Amino acid sequence: MKKFLFVIAAIIFPAMVLAGEGYLDVTASGNRQLQLAIPPSRSLDGSQHPEIVKELHDVLSFDMTLAGPFSVMSGAGGKESSGIRPGEFDFAPWKSAGADLLVKSGYRVKGSAITLEFRLYDVFKEKEIVAKRYTGTIRDLRKIAHIFDDQVMQSVTGERGPFSGKIAFVSKQTGNKEICLMDYDGHNVQRLTRNGSINLNPDFSPNGREIIYTSYKRRNPDLYRRELFTGTEASISSRRGINITGAYSPDGKRIALAMSKDGNSEIYVIDTSGKQSARLTSNGAIDVSPSWSPDGSRIAFTSDRLGRPQVFIMNSDGSGVRRLTTSGSYNDRPRWSPKGDTILYCRMEGGGFQIYSINPDGSSDTRLTSEGSNEHGRWSPDGRYITFSSSRGGREAIYVMRADGSGQTRVSRGNAADSHPTWSSRW
Amino acid sequence: MSHTLQIKEPGFGWMLLCSVVVHLACYFLLVKFHFSPLPLKEGPVYYVDIINLPVANPRAGTPSSPGGAPPATTRQEMTLPAKSAVKPGPKPAPSTLKPAAPVETDRQFQERMAKIERDVESKHVSAAIDALRSQVGSGGKGGQSGMPGAKGTEAGSDYASYIRSRLTDAFSTTIAYQSKNPEAMVRLTIGKTGRVTGLRFEKSSKDRLFEDCVRRAISKAEQTFPPPPGGAAFEYSYRFAPEGVSKK
Repeated sequence: MKKFLFVIAAIIFPAMVLAGEGYLDVTASGNRQLQLAIPPSRSLDGSQHPEIVKELHDVLSFDMTLAGPFSVMSGAGGKESSGIRPGEFDFAPWKSAGADLLVKSGYRVKGSAITLEFRLYDVFKEKEIVAKRYTGTIRDLRKIAHIFDDQVMQSVTGERGPFSGKIAFVSKQTGNKEICLMDYDGHNVQRLTRNGSINLNPDFSPNGREIIYTSYKRRNPDLYRRELFTGTEASISSRRGINITGAYSPDGKRIALAMSKDGNSEIYVIDTSGKQSARLTSNGAIDVSPSWSPDGSRIAFTSDRLGRPQVFIMNSDGSGVRRLTTSGSYNDRPRWSPKGDTILYCRMEGGGFQIYSINPDGSSDTRLTSEGSNEHGRWSPDGRYITFSSSRGGREAIYVMRADGSGQTRVSRGNAADSHPTWSSRW
Repeated sequence: MSHTLQIKEPGFGWMLLCSVVVHLACYFLLVKFHFSPLPLKEGPVYYVDIINLPVANPRAGTPSSPGGAPPATTRQEMTLPAKSAVKPGPKPAPSTLKPAAPVETDRQFQERMAKIERDVESKHVSAAIDALRSQVGSGGKGGQSGMPGAKGTEAGSDYASYIRSRLTDAFSTTIAYQSKNPEAMVRLTIGKTGRVTGLRFEKSSKDRLFEDCVRRAISKAEQTFPPPPGGAAFEYSYRFAPEGVSKK
């Protein structure tokens, strides 16, 4: 009986579904930006705070404009209704205005405490994608908005945004070169060092809680480590000669740096306490600026062993050295992408520097900047953005851009010369 | 006494004459029926569209809207007039008198004959259309458009291609991606009503932005899907990719 039913089903079922084998191509040209609508925030308790509305809108618009996948729009021709929760407003005006996504936000203020509610909607499907509520102080307003923007990126692209990260940089605000910290968009600047000396080349630990940098405060360029939340500072390499361009390994357990304790500048790897060291390069040339591949297996660095500074790659034990850059007579400061597929470096051109990207196999050597002199390119922790310093506006300042070189935006807010930026993981 | 049958053979001259006559006759017959230029008849010209463009309704064979009743005016136009335009004259009495036949010219006679022919033809057309309507109507879907008995497999009724054209239109309004060469293979199931009842990524692009734009394109296109032909669900795979990205 079972066999009979099986035979019957086998005969009937194929006739019920017109199942086709093979496939058809569906293609389209272009790569459009999603229209992201960010209307002004609404008060959830009736109290009106226009400064909060403005600041929230500024943060959300700035982040989402830099993000890349979005084109930001503010309103829907005045026809939009208030209310931020599902069912409290109508999607029709947003659909008519061509919005793909909609960010609704509301705030509630009680003393210095603030509660912020954000909701991201898919306008076409009239569906809520993500909803978050945050509580903090009014001082945390920008930070909270950045955190939600990271969440928007997570929801839309599958990968969190880097907007809640910080940028450490060298500032000449005081006349000396001090290490400072700011939001990635240039707000909330804090000075970390106050030694009145020269401090250079900051680099974040992978967890973003520590920073290493070179300081001349004891007249020798020594490498220091500083815990950001406690302010504790310690020297981790004060060997004779230079101790510069330190870079944390991806696991945070080792530091690659250039030292000249044995004569000329060579690449070494030390542990985070600075006690144990291993020499990776050994030649009569200058080797500096090491940068780890994201899996920690390789290191890119600058060497003038062929006469002019060029970027080289070697295994993390010092073996297998090969030249990466073949164009340009002066290439320096390589920085491996967190995704591992690209290496940034700067090339001297016409008296200044320009930022280039190149694949680790030497292909796709592409210039990303052109205006003014641009150097010190560093990746955001997600590898989608780059921060760098540029003198295009006169004095050096910190800029951010997308990985393809688009969307170059100045984030330094003062007139002091800012340089050597590095982008932390999320706080 | 013996009889001797004597056959008188014709003479040479007579035989020659006969031969010439027969040959000439054969020659003329051959020329007349084999080599004579026959009047050429121009046959009908058929235009065939060699490209099967996707059609909105694969079964559509008539221009009326699907599901709608045929317009009454059309039916009226097709109906045979109740009475023949030719009025029979008074019935002639069976008399020996010669009927007073009206004096009809050739032209009048031809007009009358043409009218009768038109009426008969109109009657046939009307009957054929009525038969077709009743045939379609017997399917339980009165007024349904489409060729009776069509299964959607005829040339020009490629449902999969039609769905592809709808998807392409929608995809061009939603396409967005962040990876270099995204490509996603989607298995689509369309129910009897033309709604998408199943959507499965057989091969992921690993680019959420791209896959969301594919989903958005399918949702947009779905509003234009007609029901699959034959009243069965439809299932097919579509490869979504930006233009110029070849299959990996």
